[in-house]
Order: sequence, then structure tokens, then C-alpha cells
Amino acid sequence: MTKQKAKKQEAETMPPPDPFEMWRKFYDANETAWTKAAQETTSSEAFAEMQGRMLETFLAFQKGARDAMNTQLATLNLPSRDDVARLGELILGLEEKIDQLDDRIAPLSGKRKPSASSARPKAAPRRKRRS
Amino acid sequence: MKVAPALPLADALWTSNDRALELMRVVATAREAPVGQTPKGLVWRKNKARLYRYRRATPATRRTPIFLCLPLINRAYILDLRPGNSFVEFLLDAGHDVFILDWGVWGPEDRKATITDLVMRYLPRAIRRASEDAGEKVTLLGYCIGGVLATCFAALHPDAPVRNLILFTTPIDFADAGQFGMWTAKGSFPIHRIRDTLDVVPGELIDVGAKMLNPIGSTMGTYLQLYERLGDAGFDPRGWQAMYRWVNEGTPFPSAAYHQWITEFYQENKLSKGKLQMDGRPVRLAAITLPFLSVAALSDTIAPRPTTSKTLSKVGSRDKSEILLEGGHVGIVVGRTARAELWPRVTEWLKRHD
Repeated sequence: MTKQKAKKQEAETMPPPDPFEMWRKFYDANETAWTKAAQETTSSEAFAEMQGRMLETFLAFQKGARDAMNTQLATLNLPSRDDVARLGELILGLEEKIDQLDDRIAPLSGKRKPSASSARPKAAPRRKRRS
Repeated sequence: MKVAPALPLADALWTSNDRALELMRVVATAREAPVGQTPKGLVWRKNKARLYRYRRATPATRRTPIFLCLPLINRAYILDLRPGNSFVEFLLDAGHDVFILDWGVWGPEDRKATITDLVMRYLPRAIRRASEDAGEKVTLLGYCIGGVLATCFAALHPDAPVRNLILFTTPIDFADAGQFGMWTAKGSFPIHRIRDTLDVVPGELIDVGAKMLNPIGSTMGTYLQLYERLGDAGFDPRGWQAMYRWVNEGTPFPSAAYHQWITEFYQENKLSKGKLQMDGRPVRLAAITLPFLSVAALSDTIAPRPTTSKTLSKVGSRDKSEILLEGGHVGIVVGRTARAELWPRVTEWLKRHD
């Protein structure tokens, strides 16, 4: 009876279980085996094929969702993401043309103006001598 | 009568484990971790790409500026993670002027952008502007995919204002590209459908692929490592947060560039075989004659050793060398030991090639 009481008292005074410590011990005990198993699995051709099939499914879903959205937006007379992207492409094309012009003009106009960050740091003001 | 708590583990979690609460706080606020804090100014821009020049407090003491070319699927602040753990800061302290090309975040309007576009239309202009701004030829330093871009550029533009070429963990020979090579193999990987369906390949999708290389370590291991280090009195979680933020803040890959990356590099290994062409011009590694340094990692799973081991023999440079370190793809470049093991060796090499 006294033993049981002592055990009960001991249990009450013990700090509550620390789940993270339990997790750490569990991880330490199994990490090597898990990593080996994961490496073996992911290094197999079967895994590569399975991953490819999963990607195919994801892409089919993406395409379906996108087509459906485009149809809805077209019905509402609203621009789709593709329309906005096409507009962006046109702007990028213009930017490239300007860059090409700049490539030709820059050598004729001499050296470019250096950027602000290339400016040498200003010298610290001279200290005035104390009289 | 005493009633036992309904969820003893949860009860313990909230009442007895401050470290667990701290772990959750650190993870939850990691997205706001300050990164890329070294002051810089804009030199050039095109589309989303930005070329910055870092500001120096004192004039440069080394002649050759460094031009950093980053991978287009990651944020550029990886090389300027935070004060005290910044390769950029280290280069500035060593007396160099430093430029960085940040590719920005690609959008649906960039779906037709290819690797060729980056090598033939972005890099030449950015490098020329950096060189004009500094008044000197630059050392071109490419990291990972950025290294592939830098390699193609150096092979195709022998007259560009570039003095040296440095590659950090850059895959060149894809004949044995490890797990990535197997996953993206012809037949099983729907690369054409990806290009036809997606405008940009989401960063999350690429991130899942990277995490699958070490699914246990990159998920549970990440948090366990943080949990253990939170027990160290001197541990500053801001460094961990900055790296966690970078790992989880990938940028999308334009689908045409991704298609070219997978088919021409991974599946057909054209760069190493000398069959790669850009704008109808052959990309020959033997045409690179610049002083050359390759940095590779022995335990790299993204650019496994077989993809980096033949680089030295393939480039045409007479002055070429390699630094081979024990560690992973990111660890050797910006990990805790990088400041002691890699960065001084790189600046020493730069000093000899200034």
C-alpha cells in the first residue's frame, strides 16, 4: 500500500510528458531506416513513372479548370489571364526592340552615365582644430 | 474526484514546453525574416530582371568587380542572406565591387522566355552595363542554374568584358544526374504537356521536387534541428529563419525555359556533348578560355558529383582549378562553415586573378 502511494506521489511530482522530446527520440531511432527506405523508393523507375502519372493528372485538372474559366470569362466579355498575358508579351516585345535600338545607339553616344551606386563615397568632412 | 485532462499530451505541450512554443513562433514568423540587407543601387533593368551594384563604404581595393549570376528559380538574396552571413558582404570586405543579377519573379507573360533568351538577350546587356559602370572587366560568378547560364554565355561571347569565370555547384554533364535525372527521364516525365498547360512552373512544384530528394531530412529533420538548437543558449533563430524563408520562397520557372532545361540539358545532355545551340550558334565548352574556377560539393543531391566532375576537363581554359568540399548544394556556399571553408579560398583565387 505504501509502495503504491509512493508510486502515485512520484507520478504526480514528475513533469508531464514532453511530446517533442518523445518525437525527437522516435525520430532519432528511426531516421536512418526511414531515409534509406525513402531513398530506395524515390530512386526507382517505378516511382519516376508514378510521379509522372501524378503530374499528368495534375496537368489535366489544371487544363480543365483553366478552359472552364476562360469560357466563363469570354461569356461575360471579360479578359482572361491569357489575354492579359498576351498584352504583357506585347509590352515585353516592345521593350526588347527598345533594347536593340539602345544596343546600336549606345556605342555611338560614348560612355554611359555611371549609376548612383558607382559614385565614390564622399570624403568625411575635415575635423576642425580646436583653438 | 479529480478529472484527468482530456488531452494529456496537448496539456503538456502548452504548459510545460516553452521550447515547442518558441519553435512554432520561429517557424510562423520566418516569412518576415529580414534578408538581403546590404545597401545596393539599381544599374539596369529588363522585364523583371534587375542588375544591382552594392554600395561600398570605401573605394574598392581590387580591380575586378564580381558579377553574380543567380539561379532563375530562387530568390537572389541567398548570397546576401543576413549581416554576418553574407557572401556579398564578404566580397565587399575583401575590396571588390559587387554586382548581382536578380531575375525577379516570372509571370504568365514570360511563358515564352527560354534559357537562350537569358543567355543571348539578358546576360550580354547586364554584363556590359556592369562593366561600363565599374570601368573594368568583371569576374562572372554563376551559382547552380545561374552557373549554367554563365557557362553558356562565356562560351558564346568570347569578346564580352569578362576576366574570369567561377561556377558554384553547377551541373554541366547530365549523363548521370542522380534522382532528378531519373525523374525527368524521357517517357515518364510529361515535359511537353507541362509546357503546353502551364505558363510558368510554380515554385511550389519545383520545391516539392527538391524536398523529395531527402523527404525525411527536409521535412521532419528541419524542424527537429531547430528544436534542438533552440535549446542552445547562444542560438540566434534569425539565421535559421532567413534560410527557411529562402528555401520556401522559390520563384516560378517560365514554361518554355523549363522545357528547354529538361529536354536539352537533362534528357539530351547537349551542353556536355557539344550539341547545344543558341540562336543557331553552337555552345562549345572548349571555347571557354577564361581563367576558370569550379566549386563543387561531394554530397550534392541537386548537382550530384558526376554532373560536376568532368567540367574541368571540358572547358578550354589553360588556367583552371577546382575546389571540392564535403557538404551539400547550398551548405557549402552559404552554410555555417562557408565563411571559413569556401569564401576565403574564393577571394584568394580572385586575388591571384585580379
